[in-house]
Amino acid sequence: MQREVGSLPLAPGLRARLAAAGFQTAQELLETGPCGLSKEIGISKEEALEALQLVRQECHGDAARTAGGLGTTRKFTALELLEEEQAQGFIITFCSALDTMLGGGVQLTKITEICGAPGVGKTQLCMQLAVDVQIPECFGGVAGEAVFIDTEGSFMVDRVVDIAAACVHHCQLIAEAQQEEDHLKALETFSLESILSHIYYFRCRDYIELLAQVYLLPEFLSEHSKVRLVVIDGIAFPFRHDFEDLSLRTRLLNGLAQQLIIIANDHKAAVVLTNQMTTRIGQSQSTLVPALGESWGHAATVRLIFHWDNSQRLATLYKSPSQKEATIPYHITPHGFRDVQPPAVTPNAQGTEMNPRKRPRREEEKQ
Amino acid sequence: MDWDQFDLNPRTVAALKKADIKSIKEILNFSEADLQRLMKLSSADTQCLLKTVSRTLRKNSMLTALQLHQDKDHLTSQHQKLSLGCSVLDNLLRGGIPLVGITELAGESSAGKTQISLQLCLCVQYPYKYGGLESGAVYICTEDAFPSKRLQQLIDQQQKLRADVPAEIIQKIKFGNSIFVEHAADLDTFHRCITKRLSLLLARGMVRLVVIDSIAALFRCEFGVSESVMKARYLQTFGAQLHSLSTRFRTPIMCINQVWHQNCCLFCNKWLEGDVGNRVAPALGMTWANQLLMRLMASRVSWPGQASGVAPHCAGSMRTLRVVFAPHLPPSFCYYTIQLEGVKGIK
Repeated sequence: MQREVGSLPLAPGLRARLAAAGFQTAQELLETGPCGLSKEIGISKEEALEALQLVRQECHGDAARTAGGLGTTRKFTALELLEEEQAQGFIITFCSALDTMLGGGVQLTKITEICGAPGVGKTQLCMQLAVDVQIPECFGGVAGEAVFIDTEGSFMVDRVVDIAAACVHHCQLIAEAQQEEDHLKALETFSLESILSHIYYFRCRDYIELLAQVYLLPEFLSEHSKVRLVVIDGIAFPFRHDFEDLSLRTRLLNGLAQQLIIIANDHKAAVVLTNQMTTRIGQSQSTLVPALGESWGHAATVRLIFHWDNSQRLATLYKSPSQKEATIPYHITPHGFRDVQPPAVTPNAQGTEMNPRKRPRREEEKQ
Repeated sequence: MDWDQFDLNPRTVAALKKADIKSIKEILNFSEADLQRLMKLSSADTQCLLKTVSRTLRKNSMLTALQLHQDKDHLTSQHQKLSLGCSVLDNLLRGGIPLVGITELAGESSAGKTQISLQLCLCVQYPYKYGGLESGAVYICTEDAFPSKRLQQLIDQQQKLRADVPAEIIQKIKFGNSIFVEHAADLDTFHRCITKRLSLLLARGMVRLVVIDSIAALFRCEFGVSESVMKARYLQTFGAQLHSLSTRFRTPIMCINQVWHQNCCLFCNKWLEGDVGNRVAPALGMTWANQLLMRLMASRVSWPGQASGVAPHCAGSMRTLRVVFAPHLPPSFCYYTIQLEGVKGIK
């Protein structure tokens, strides 16, 4: 943004006029806007617009080059990709059974879809993830920020406060047990207020607002480069009424899916979507299937289906490129999303709970 | 739509005018590829166009969770809720009914659903300080006649129910004047009622509560099993319209629903409800449940054994109000009775 006008790739005549008019940095050009610019240096509005577009591209290109080549095609070997993927962070969910089933937690750069009946816990998991993404690295988290796009109005901040307070308390217990310097230092900035201030909330009231918001996400994520989670709760609600033309809906959903894949990849963020269930009426019986149709099923990389078995909540991994299909039970407590049986709470075991990749310390080693 | 006011390339503006595109909604209704083909612009120009119109539509739309938490202004805050007029019931709901979204109250007949709704119609008229919204209510009857005698009884007894409110304030409120009763026995009348009557009353600020008693009655007779697709579409449309009104006017919508016994529910029993002990399920199935923010269930306590620790003379008329699902509440319940002055929770 602070680039000198002279170094921008504009036509020499134009550069001379800009210098004569007193413009020195790219920032000043962008602030003036096309109308002001065309008046000041006496060019047509079309030329001014083109010039400003070029300047914007240059500035983004600069930022991208320092960030590592956004949008340019890169070549990788499969080994490099494997290493990159293994180094990829996971956002833990605090339910170790779910984290294990997912291979470590909700994976960055992938789209995870959560389907389920109303009241089963989809929004609860989303709120938990929006808090967990902010856990500092020394506690096993990715130290990121979260974007929460709400289409149903189910984001109740009181609940997020409870979940965040429980998370901070959990980290405090670990810090007390392990007494390491960086733990205590991280806790200074990891508080309820800081967690709440890094959840960016957008309310979209229909599918047009949702589409518009997703078009603006790449820019937002470039400005807020620490965002590591984008939640859309729920994706089905705005698309399930108001559509006489179902093929238009499919086209729009496909476009949305493509944009989300690009966002997840470019910004190293996890994208989490929640979906509703609908009844598919078959020959002799009916089954519950995720809403939005067959083609939408291809959008997400990982698909979880939450359901009930009497009064136990269960999560089934329905689709995953690398993990086995499985079903695990989970619990929703006043503190948030949890396992059904809390793992044995001893000071030694607490460290392993937070970082699933650390080898659990076994009793034999101490002897 | 005056495209010149946007920060757009004149080429783009010309293409927009030539393609006869009149609104932002039309542009966003096209996928990026379709738009490019339609307007014959380069991909960079199309992206620029989409970003510019999106920016116009969504400027100033971001809030942080901290801002939501700290917002105490009663016009915008999430902490503002509609009280039920009883502190025990309000505690169950952590303040009362949320102002944005559809809340369902399901239950068997004579469980107390209409009583609770009537009480809400009176509570909404109190000042903000006492948990109300200083406005009236719309009561849409789809089945029985409106219980006006009972309403009058409740109005006369308000001072007894709301001992926390000073007498002068209660006397000043003209309860009967602010409750608008509508009758809608079939789907078309109901549709007209929502789209015309309701929007008018809400836009004028005369009401800030909508009660629909009951939503299930509209759908019972008219649809057989084979017309389930049609029924689902109606449910989704109504749900979306009510949701949109609720969001625009920050008005709670309370829908009363009936229940059917579980052996009549053809499929999805085990996916719908998580409670083994419950032999009944709310009507209208998954399609309707997907539209709801919060579901409450009212039931009669059928045997004294279930209500241990409570004085035996209450056991006969004791009822349970249960939170089935809500984004901010755990599944919990409390007992209540129906007295002359209204619905009162029991600790």
